[in-house]
Amino acid sequence: MQIRAGVTQRLLIVDDSKVMRDMVAACLRPLGDVSFDFAASGLEAIERLALANYQLVVLDLNMPDVGGIEVIEFIRQQSKLSKLPILVVTTRGDETSRTRVLEAGASGFLPKPFAPDQILADVRGLLASA
Amino acid sequence: MGDQVDLKEFVGGFIAESDQLTASATAGLLEIEQANARNELRPKTVRDLFRALHTLKGLAGMMGIEPIVELAHAFETVLRSADQAGGRLGARGVELGLITVRGIAERVRAVADDRPVPRAPDGLLDELARVDITGTSAAPAPYVAHGWDGRLAPGERTQLAAALAANKKIYTLTFAPSDATSSKGVTIATVRSAVAALGELIKVAPRSQPASADAPAGLLFELLVVSDASVEQLAEAASSTPGRVMPVVGEAVAPASLELPADDEIAPIGRSVVRVDLGRLDELQDALSALVVSRFRLERQVAALAAAGVDVRGLRETCEQQGRQLRELRRGILRARMVRVADVLEPLSLIVRSLTKPGVKEVRLELDVRDSELDKAVADRLLPALVHLVRNAIDHAIEPIVDREKAGKPRAGTLRIECREGAGNELEIAIRDDGRGIDRDAIGRRAGKPILDTATLLDVIATPGFSTRDSATETSGRGFGMDIVRRIVVSDLGGELALDTAVGRGTTFTLTVPLTIAIIDVFSFECAQQAFVVPVATVEEIFELGDHNAVTGPSAKGRLPIALIERRGKPVQIIPLGTLLRIPCEVTAKKALVVRRNGEALAFAVDRMLGRHEVVVRPIDDVLARVPGVAGATDLGDGRPTLLLDLVELGAGVSNWREVQPS
Repeated sequence: MQIRAGVTQRLLIVDDSKVMRDMVAACLRPLGDVSFDFAASGLEAIERLALANYQLVVLDLNMPDVGGIEVIEFIRQQSKLSKLPILVVTTRGDETSRTRVLEAGASGFLPKPFAPDQILADVRGLLASA
Repeated sequence: MGDQVDLKEFVGGFIAESDQLTASATAGLLEIEQANARNELRPKTVRDLFRALHTLKGLAGMMGIEPIVELAHAFETVLRSADQAGGRLGARGVELGLITVRGIAERVRAVADDRPVPRAPDGLLDELARVDITGTSAAPAPYVAHGWDGRLAPGERTQLAAALAANKKIYTLTFAPSDATSSKGVTIATVRSAVAALGELIKVAPRSQPASADAPAGLLFELLVVSDASVEQLAEAASSTPGRVMPVVGEAVAPASLELPADDEIAPIGRSVVRVDLGRLDELQDALSALVVSRFRLERQVAALAAAGVDVRGLRETCEQQGRQLRELRRGILRARMVRVADVLEPLSLIVRSLTKPGVKEVRLELDVRDSELDKAVADRLLPALVHLVRNAIDHAIEPIVDREKAGKPRAGTLRIECREGAGNELEIAIRDDGRGIDRDAIGRRAGKPILDTATLLDVIATPGFSTRDSATETSGRGFGMDIVRRIVVSDLGGELALDTAVGRGTTFTLTVPLTIAIIDVFSFECAQQAFVVPVATVEEIFELGDHNAVTGPSAKGRLPIALIERRGKPVQIIPLGTLLRIPCEVTAKKALVVRRNGEALAFAVDRMLGRHEVVVRPIDDVLARVPGVAGATDLGDGRPTLLLDLVELGAGVSNWREVQPS
């Protein structure tokens, strides 16, 4: 596993629930040298992504106006974001959702509820292979 | 793998967020119910509800609270079908939804109180699984706005079509995020809420394009909004320019209906509202009380100066002015504590609904509360009494449909709640039902004495343990009766309760409660077998009086015993409170309360401490016209008035208390 030492990784956590955002950040703290930005909606996520560079996005599906799938599609349409790792974290854990999410271009899919070390392992994996 | 985080740490956040979600879900369901009554659909509200339930399910899953997951999941499934049916959630769906959301809220409370979380009721889950949402998605709207083709969901198209059909003004606004907007704190989230405040926001969609002066970050957000606001207002809300506010043309709408808004048609923006924690208003009130006390001292000093022959006309005028300003300030704080009675009574409609059995017993709730307002603290205490009266009315007073029809009454009973402000800062609340009325003779037989008037009747039914029915019923139960209502209204709030009833025609309970009350934390104690209370905030210390430091000194006739005791190596003057208040006092003082006056400690000897409580004090109408040393009266629950003492003020009389001649 290769995480570049000395370079702060910048992660964007997107969820309309504040507790959920906080929980995800807490689970990912052990990554060490990371900083988190938060977005409470798909629209905010798209805005953040246009204004700053991120190494990874943790994305919820269930959001007003612009849902997670639309965010993934929007991200993948842009050449500079085509390789950005996106981990979808969702309560819709069924196979149909998984297929739709991965077809839209997500890099990983983690059903809720998840254990803290599960999300940590997934994010480590995605960051290492990026 | 590094240190493991414990998700249980987030339980506080979970509770707060779940409370919000259940509250907004309830509001959404009530909105849908009203829309159903008018034969309208609320597709957007259904989607919001769906999201709320989905979030609740996800959060409860993370916290491992399975019963909430089950309930949320079951109703979420209903909402998904409702969304697919074009936002159609029928009466049954709304009813079950309200029960489910209440069930979730109760379980969140259980988590908050650290109680075991009850299982999800199987019956409810089955009922939810059986909800049949019929109806198909509304036919695609006949027209769509230029530029939005293919970007709107069916529900959003319907929303847009309705706006076009109603000749409403519709615009596309553009917001271009950039480092500059971001550094000013303007984001799509702030723009979205600013625009939504000006009208009905149908859709926000991102559009990516090559970076340019118009789109510095290569990104634009387009907002589709129905609004009567001016182009300038809309542009400002979107952090854009008026030139980029585009009127939306419906492609199948006659051009005549499309007019640019005239500048004089600026819609007023609703008054802004802030929510304040009640505790902060209490703090303000405490600060005000302190101010009032120091004003008293000022007045006394002015009087002393005047007595010494000093010309105090200027000072006195300033004092009077300050008095008026204080009263103004007090009125302002009291106003800030007021809540709308209509909001307070909102839970009652839920209760009425849950107790109504379609086809068996139906009740219509009518509220006529106009713009009445009530102190939040009064409202919180009053609500349980109202809930009880409403339950009683539905459970006991209003007859089942069969009986009502036999009696020639309308099928559905009517429960009417009226409010009006009475004289002298009081609110009168009447709860009127058109049910069977209370049979005075029957009650008299049960009570074993004849009942000649309604006052006696009320007295009898408000006797603890008295029940008008032999069997306990599902809703009212036995034992929890009118005595509780009377205690809340009369003892806790210092109000009045009245009854008017006619057999066969109905019953009216009239509650008269003060618009405001003050609640403070007090110590209660006994002195000469009489209970008193003092505000906790004024007491610096309570200590035991033993033989080593017992009150000493002469208790000579006509004299108050003055004694000093040792406290932390320093002498402190101690005054037997009973003697000071001129009540017969045995020398049994066991405790001393220490207060500080002008920086100097002063102890009051009392017989024994009773406890610490939160009590309601009825404010004396004019705080500037009260008896020094007595701040008010309260009720410790025994129905007798208990005096609230201001020991600091009482202590002020001590300096010249040799003049006091105890009887």
